[in-house]
Amino acid sequence: MNVRRWSALTKRELLKISRNPAAIVTSLMLPILYLVLFGQGFNFTSSLNYLPPPERTSALDALLLGAPNYFSYFAAGMVGFVGVTATLFVGANVIFDKLFGTLKRTAASPATATDIFGARLVAGSIQPVALAFLVLGLAILLGHLGLSGLTVTASVSVVAAAEVVLAILLLSLMFASLFLALGFTIEQPQTYFALVNAINLPVLLTSAALYPWGAMPTWLQEVASYNPVTLAVEVLRINFFGDAFYPYAAWVYLAGLIAWFAGMFTVATLLTRRALAPKA
Amino acid sequence: MPDAIVAEGLTRVFNGTVRAVDGISFSVKEGEIYGFLGPNGAGKTTTVSMLTAVLGMTSGHATVDGTDVARHPHELKQRIGLVFQESTADQDLTGRENLEVAAALFGVPLRETAPRINYLLDRLALADASDRLAKTYSGGMRRRLELAVGIIHSPRVLFLDEPTLGLDPQGRAGFWKIIGDLRQESGMTVFLTTHYLDEADTMCDRIAIIDHGKIAATGTPSELKDRVGGDVVTVKPLGPPGSLLDALKALPGVTSVVPQDGSFRVKCPNGETLIPKVVGAATGLGISLAGVSLRRPSLDEVFLDFTGREFREDEGPTATDRAVFMSRFQDARRGRR
Repeated sequence: MNVRRWSALTKRELLKISRNPAAIVTSLMLPILYLVLFGQGFNFTSSLNYLPPPERTSALDALLLGAPNYFSYFAAGMVGFVGVTATLFVGANVIFDKLFGTLKRTAASPATATDIFGARLVAGSIQPVALAFLVLGLAILLGHLGLSGLTVTASVSVVAAAEVVLAILLLSLMFASLFLALGFTIEQPQTYFALVNAINLPVLLTSAALYPWGAMPTWLQEVASYNPVTLAVEVLRINFFGDAFYPYAAWVYLAGLIAWFAGMFTVATLLTRRALAPKA
Repeated sequence: MPDAIVAEGLTRVFNGTVRAVDGISFSVKEGEIYGFLGPNGAGKTTTVSMLTAVLGMTSGHATVDGTDVARHPHELKQRIGLVFQESTADQDLTGRENLEVAAALFGVPLRETAPRINYLLDRLALADASDRLAKTYSGGMRRRLELAVGIIHSPRVLFLDEPTLGLDPQGRAGFWKIIGDLRQESGMTVFLTTHYLDEADTMCDRIAIIDHGKIAATGTPSELKDRVGGDVVTVKPLGPPGSLLDALKALPGVTSVVPQDGSFRVKCPNGETLIPKVVGAATGLGISLAGVSLRRPSLDEVFLDFTGREFREDEGPTATDRAVFMSRFQDARRGRR
């Protein structure tokens, strides 16, 4: 990869994102609405107040794996949620660049497929990573505004913070790779969005991003255990609420995420190389 | 002079059956402006796409500036410039930002990047709009920006694929003035495709006429026109032609007579002197004429001669467009507005 080409292409992508304020506002709306409405409405923890304190704690631990309330559990899950939804558009942008000829121009230059893919991967992951931290910040802030908020019960060390950052980064890079691969392979925006919808919802609904773990049927827990969204949000939950209820340490989940990212990155670069090669 | 482009048996078949380019061979000398002239669907863009490694070849071999196109596409892309027929500049970037990205992609040395961009913006009359988003540019400005992007790295060979498509005559004349000047300054080789006959005639050192994926003829514009055999006088009888065909063939200086759509295309070295003889011959046979017209040798005639059909009206500019283009091109060359 040529650093100058890669950085020029990354700068171009970031300039384009920064010049589309409507897209930025829209991408902010979804997590804000989920935190302010969905998270508040589903925060069922108070409905267990009729139980004596020891039983209430046991019930909550069984359901939320150590999180003090559903909103805190959900706020970590929302990071996984934006890791998927905010990366959707990286592939759509590739398709539009194909339709407008911009990609043809880049492909006709000495830039390699790795330069082109790498630039879009990095630029496309910045937004979800930024959104993830915004979600966490807003979730904490809501607790100070008289609403349900994110309560971190574990002491977060530097290593724990690094694990959280790495999980968010890996998740965003993995899904950006997936959607870029689709973008480089598919020609029509309609096909892309249909396929993205077919992937997006099943991935989120088979993860532990939103469901209380203890309320999930065993078979769904099994499926969710391998889901990259689950792996990422569990790294966050372990570091925010403690690892007492998790079978593995955070690094094991991170290793799973790295494997997911490596696999997806490899497939995506191969598909991109094939898509940008001279048409046989 | 060495060859900048050599193509041998270049072929591209789509879907196993459609032979878009069918075994063409040609060479372009260094510093030449070489035109591929043909109607839409003739195979011009497919040829450019193969020569610039955008599209693979089904068979054949090509070198551009000494680089094997199929074997070293990456090296090739560093040596050539390419201006597409459609606008490919990033519309959400300014003109200057588009050029900065292009400079980085083509490896223009950092020290030379800003001066080169400023030179091109100035040279292509985009300096005042350099910090405006490309989507606010007019059609002519977009074309000039495409050209600037295509030559940011001072390529040795520049490919122009229908570069003036959609421009008004003034825009086209201005564009070609710049190309002519740049070629003069840098000596770069230019390979262009066009379906504007007047552009090919005015701009190209040599032309290949391509139709249905095959080269029908090559040569300088004047060589091709000479091959047509001089002027063409078109004679249209008012009624049945009777023995007019034989009478026309018998006229002194006539090299050929071809009946076409109720008229006769009479070729001769000097049409002006032939017209009175044509009228005399028709009068002598008692045949009234609906009209007699004289056409100097043009690429329209060349195309008709080599392909057996006229350059379709919807493929090129109107006669008025052509007249306006030529007058403005000549004005632009003289440096007048």
